[in-house]
Amino acid sequence: MSSNKVLVIGGGPAGLEAARSAAELGGEVILLEKRERLGGTPDRENYAKLTHHWRDASEAMAELAASVTNHPRVQVKYQAEVKGMSGSAGNFEVQIEAGGVAESLNVGSIIIATGFQHFDPGRATQYYNYYSFPDVITLTDLEKMLKEHNVVRPSNGQPPKKIAFIQCVGSRDRQIGNEYCSKVCCGIASKQAIELREQLPDSKVMIFYIDMRMYGYWENEIYWKAQEQHKVNYVKGVISEVLKKGDQLLIRGEDTTMSRPMEVTMDMVVLSVGMEPSAGTRAIAQLLGVKQNKYGFIEAGGEGGLDTVATSVPGIFVAGAAAGPADLNDSISSAGLAAARAMALVRA
Amino acid sequence: MAKYEKAKAIEKENIVVDGIDVSGHWNRMFEQRTIFEYTPELIEKIADIPGGESFANCYQCAKCVAVCPVDVVGNYGPRKLYRYAQTGMDLTEAPELWLCTTCANCLRVCPKEVNMVKIMPAAREQAILDGKFVPPELQQAFENTAKSGNPLGQPQRKRDAWIQNAGVPVPIIKDLSRPVDVLWYVGSYPSYHPRGIDAASAAARIFTALGIDFAILGKEEKDDADSQRLAGEKGLFEMMTEYNIATFNKYEWKEMVVTGPHELNAFKNVYPKYGFERPVVHYTTFLARHLDQLKPLLKHPVNKKITYHDPCYLGRHNGEYEAPRKLLQAIPGVELVEMGRNRENGYCCGGGGGGMWMDSFTAKHTTMRLSEKRAMEAASTGADVLAVACPFEVSRFEDAVKSTGNEHVGVLDILELLDKSMRGE
Repeated sequence: MSSNKVLVIGGGPAGLEAARSAAELGGEVILLEKRERLGGTPDRENYAKLTHHWRDASEAMAELAASVTNHPRVQVKYQAEVKGMSGSAGNFEVQIEAGGVAESLNVGSIIIATGFQHFDPGRATQYYNYYSFPDVITLTDLEKMLKEHNVVRPSNGQPPKKIAFIQCVGSRDRQIGNEYCSKVCCGIASKQAIELREQLPDSKVMIFYIDMRMYGYWENEIYWKAQEQHKVNYVKGVISEVLKKGDQLLIRGEDTTMSRPMEVTMDMVVLSVGMEPSAGTRAIAQLLGVKQNKYGFIEAGGEGGLDTVATSVPGIFVAGAAAGPADLNDSISSAGLAAARAMALVRA
Repeated sequence: MAKYEKAKAIEKENIVVDGIDVSGHWNRMFEQRTIFEYTPELIEKIADIPGGESFANCYQCAKCVAVCPVDVVGNYGPRKLYRYAQTGMDLTEAPELWLCTTCANCLRVCPKEVNMVKIMPAAREQAILDGKFVPPELQQAFENTAKSGNPLGQPQRKRDAWIQNAGVPVPIIKDLSRPVDVLWYVGSYPSYHPRGIDAASAAARIFTALGIDFAILGKEEKDDADSQRLAGEKGLFEMMTEYNIATFNKYEWKEMVVTGPHELNAFKNVYPKYGFERPVVHYTTFLARHLDQLKPLLKHPVNKKITYHDPCYLGRHNGEYEAPRKLLQAIPGVELVEMGRNRENGYCCGGGGGGMWMDSFTAKHTTMRLSEKRAMEAASTGADVLAVACPFEVSRFEDAVKSTGNEHVGVLDILELLDKSMRGE
């Protein structure tokens, strides 16, 4: 018995868009969300502003969620987890548990949208001392402070005057195992730097980088804006270690275009942590038997490489950052394509 | 500049400290290289000056450095200035402030439109206002301009003395008391400098042979002061501008022809901001327009291999690359050869932006003069003659061919070459 239903796993931006698109294309959609609310990482990690159109993240996620919860053809199951799967394209039998109740779903296609998690800076090979020094924080920690309009040094509750961003923490690193570029951190750091300068106009904000990777319009909309209008300073040469100096932090590295060592004190250091596959992504790949790449993300692209939402299992598609580092634009675009592919399959 | 260079070992051969001889490596020390503080405020200091805004926009691509004529003979370049400022250099107090010739080659390639042609004059003006160091020779040129109406410090009453030996009558507009077609603004160097006078005399003969109805301002003519403006003396420039515009407007004329590209830049691009908007052309553009009448006059072959140096303020600043070449190619016998850097990418002679009056200062911060580098490039083409079209250049390049052992390369203004062909040697 074949099913015309589409199962979307994950209620973040990619899952929401996949569910919305599939429903708008006429599909019957079941959306599984592990937590009690939709919105995914932007919601859970308290994102402040989005790089796109500088929108309030909660507001944008709420809109996306509403378009799904208000849709008559989408059924959302909260506190839901996949427990097992059998069958094949057009006719999958998926065992789940939602709100503590086990049930079996018969669906024609599956879209995985289980996303990413931020790199744990404790794993960095450099001595950034995230877990030792309170004033060493991550992009996600800062994002929360920015959202609350309360950017202060955790050590003393005072607003920082000198703030350094360190790029590529946990990305582009063979020793760590994450050889890829996480794509978004240059843009996010620059976005946060602008917000910092807006919220703390007297602060000096510096970004230390290996390469600034501001692809597409991020170049002119974020990078140039940060430098030209908000006077954020960029220095090529990433920091090798963060030490304690009095009640401040001492960042040490090389200023490469000057070919000089640097030892500069900062009040706060922000680690631009990259993306890794979320625990959910790793688990679902195992459960559904889809191939993962060497970094644990779900391998997408199909045989020719251009089937960008296809997984190794026919009928199972992947959307968003479950397939690798992606920003919101990427995630939402791939979600739309995954919905189209999933619908084409159940209608055939 | 040592502060921004690589670590240097400092070791005195003979030194006695408190009566103890520590000659030799006992006293060896190294200069500090570590950056202990970043100083974004020193970038802001420049960007906050009107005109200096784009200084803060540099993203360190370094395209400017390779095309910067000063870096070719030293260690310089707009992107470095940004980094120096970010690491402690106050540009208004640094020698770097005075090295830029405003040649605009960096701006030509800059993806972020960092405009040193605006930044440098703004920062220099600030330095002057704040009483910071100004190269004394530049200060002298400013004073000469203010006192005598020209940077050479020559008396105003002698400004038209050169016409006595021009070989043709050179009418003074005041004496004509009638409208003319062409008001020829001669310029300070063509009026006073011996080699400039050669070019001015040649121009007078060419205009006469072409039957141009022209006149000059004579003793009423004063310097355009555009280079003084670019060197930071905006006040002086405005004073001269006020006088010049009033003088130009006293008489009736249809078009102004200027001998120098700097004057062209002043009258055509800057004076409009002060209310003067009338047709002004460089002599090469003007003569190229009369090429059909000019060609039959060029009777005598000039059998020379000639290379042409594009003046920054004629080429990059005003887009005229073809007229000078058309004129040279109209001379029978001339073989025109190009240097590697030409037209939009032409190398600078070092005379612009006040560089004309800072040669001794610049020499302390460069390995050779820009004009010497260019003279060597000209010589390497095998040319017999380095042709120029800017009154700053003849004297600069004549010195440069000598100092680099290339005396066999003659330096001649295009006017002189045309005149040679017209009259024979």
